Amino acid sequence: MNAIHIEGLRKSYGREEVLRGVNLDVREGEFYALMGPNGSGKTTLLSILASTLLPSSGTIEIYGRKPQQARELVGYVPQSNFTIPNLTGRENLIYFASVLGYSRSESARLADDLLEKVGLSADAKKRVSAYSGGMRKRLEAATALFPGIKVMLLDEPTTGLDPSARRMFLGLLQDLKGEATSILLVTHLGSDAEIASKVGLIDGGRMIAQGEPEELRALSGLRNVISIETAAKSQRAVEALKPFSENGRVLETDVGYRVYSRDQEKATPEIVRALDRAGARVVKVESATPSLEDVFFKMTGRSVSGSV
Amino acid sequence: MGQVTGGLERSAKELIRLKESLFWTIAWPSIWVLLSGAIFVKGIPEDVLPVVKGSMTVPMMVFALMIAGMSNLPATVSTDRERGTLAKLMSMPASPWRDFLGRVLGLLCFSALAVVLVGLVGYATGARFRLSAAEVLLALGFLLVGFTASAGIGSVIASLVKNVQGAIMTGVGLSVITAAISGVMAPYSALPASLQSFARIYPISSVNSAIIYVLFGEEYSGYTPLTVAQVASTVATSIGILAVGIILYTKIAWRRR
Repeated sequence: MNAIHIEGLRKSYGREEVLRGVNLDVREGEFYALMGPNGSGKTTLLSILASTLLPSSGTIEIYGRKPQQARELVGYVPQSNFTIPNLTGRENLIYFASVLGYSRSESARLADDLLEKVGLSADAKKRVSAYSGGMRKRLEAATALFPGIKVMLLDEPTTGLDPSARRMFLGLLQDLKGEATSILLVTHLGSDAEIASKVGLIDGGRMIAQGEPEELRALSGLRNVISIETAAKSQRAVEALKPFSENGRVLETDVGYRVYSRDQEKATPEIVRALDRAGARVVKVESATPSLEDVFFKMTGRSVSGSV
Repeated sequence: MGQVTGGLERSAKELIRLKESLFWTIAWPSIWVLLSGAIFVKGIPEDVLPVVKGSMTVPMMVFALMIAGMSNLPATVSTDRERGTLAKLMSMPASPWRDFLGRVLGLLCFSALAVVLVGLVGYATGARFRLSAAEVLLALGFLLVGFTASAGIGSVIASLVKNVQGAIMTGVGLSVITAAISGVMAPYSALPASLQSFARIYPISSVNSAIIYVLFGEEYSGYTPLTVAQVASTVATSIGILAVGIILYTKIAWRRR
C-alpha cells in the first residue's frame, strides 16, 4: 500500500513554476529520501504534503486522502527550529500533544515516552533555548512520533548540525526505519540520503530518477571516483582536472574535487602532476565509491550542494 | 486537555518567561507609576494625594493591557510564523479558532498578572482606590472590555504585519501614540476638543475613563463616561474589533497559499 501517492504535481508562484509534474510514491513503512539542490522544489513538495501549501494541480494522496484530510496521520518537521525556546522540552511535547487532542495526563505520559525514545529524558526539564542544535532537532523529530502518525515528513533535518549531532540524528532515523511509520526526508546531502531505502533525485521541479541507492549508482554508470583533497581550491585546478573526467565534469567538494575517470590507475599520477603544474597542493588522492551526490552530478551536471 | 487549554498554558508560560514582555508590560508601566508618583504630585494637598496617585496608577494598569494585547500578542504570533511553529500547527489537525482562543486566554492570564502588579506598585507608592465590591466588579468588567479591544487590535496587527520586529514596533507604537492622544497618558481635561471626541470613541481610553470615574469620580475622569450610549458603544466597538481580529487571524495568518 502507498502511504504517499503523488501524480503530476505542479505548483506555481505567479509565473514561476516550482514543481513541474512530479510523480512519487512512498510505500507504507518505506524510508524515502528526496534529494536535490536548493531551489529544486523539494521543500515546496513537502509543504504541500504537510498541507501548509496548496498545489496548483495534480493528485496528492496520503493513505488515499487529500493532505488536509489526513493531517492526523502526518508528522511534519519543518527545516526551521519550530519548537518554543522558552518552554522545556517536555512542555513543548505536552503542548503539541494537546493540539492533537490528548488529555493532560496522556500528553504528559506521551511526552515522557517520546523524550526517552529520542534520548532526551535527562534534559526534559531544560528550556529548549538551552538545547544544542542536535538536541533541538531530536525534540522536533519527537513531535512527529505521536501515536497515530503514519507519515513522517522531514525537511533538511541535519542542516546546521555538527558531525556528531548529525550522526546521532541519522542513527535515530535508522532506528525508526522498519517501524510502521513511513519517512519522507528531503535533503541536499547525499550522505543523509544514503540511509534511505529509496531515493528520488529532483532538479528544477522535475524528478530526474528514483530507485534504491545501488540502482541509482548503476543507472548513472559510475563505478569509481577519484577523490582529491587539496590545500586550497582554484579555478585553475578545476581547469587542470577537466581533461581527466568524463564529459569534462569536475565536482567541487568542501575539501577538494571529485573526478569521474574510466582508467583510475593511469589517471591518478597524471592528475597529481597536472594539479602541481596548476599550483594546487595535493593533500590526498584516493579512489572512492560513487556517492549519491556523484550520481546527481553525473545525471544533471549540477552539484546537489550547489558548490560547483 | 485539548488545544485551547494547551494553548493557554503555553501562551501564559511563554509570556511570563519572556524578558521583553515582562519589561514592556509590567516593568515599564510600573516605572511610570513610580515616576509620576514622584514628579507630578508637587503642591497637591496631602489629603487628596492617595486618590491622585490612584488616578495616575489606573491609566498605567490600562496601558499594561494595551501593551499586552497590541504588542505581545502580535509578537508571539509573528514569532510563531517566522520560526515555523505556525506551519507546524497548520500541518496538524489543529483549529485556528481554538489556537486563537488558547492564545488569548493565556494572554488574559498574563495581562491580569501585569495589571495586579502595576496596581500593587501604585499601592506601594501611596495610591489608594475606592474598593467596594460593586466598584471593583465594575472596574474589572471595564478592564475586561479594555483587554478585548487591545487583543482585537493585536490580532489585526498579528495578521497583517508579518515580521517580528515590525509587529512589535507597530504594537508598541500604536499603544504609545493612542495612549498619548486619547487621555490614557495625559488627563482628559488637558486634551483639545478633537482629541476629547476621539477619547470618548476609542474603546481603551473610554474604559480608562470609566474605571477612573467609578473609583475616583468625575473630578478625575474629566467627564461622565458611564452613560448608556458610551458604555454600549465601548463594549460594542471592543467586541467588533476582536471579531475582526479573529476573522483576520483565522483567514490570513492561517492562510494556505
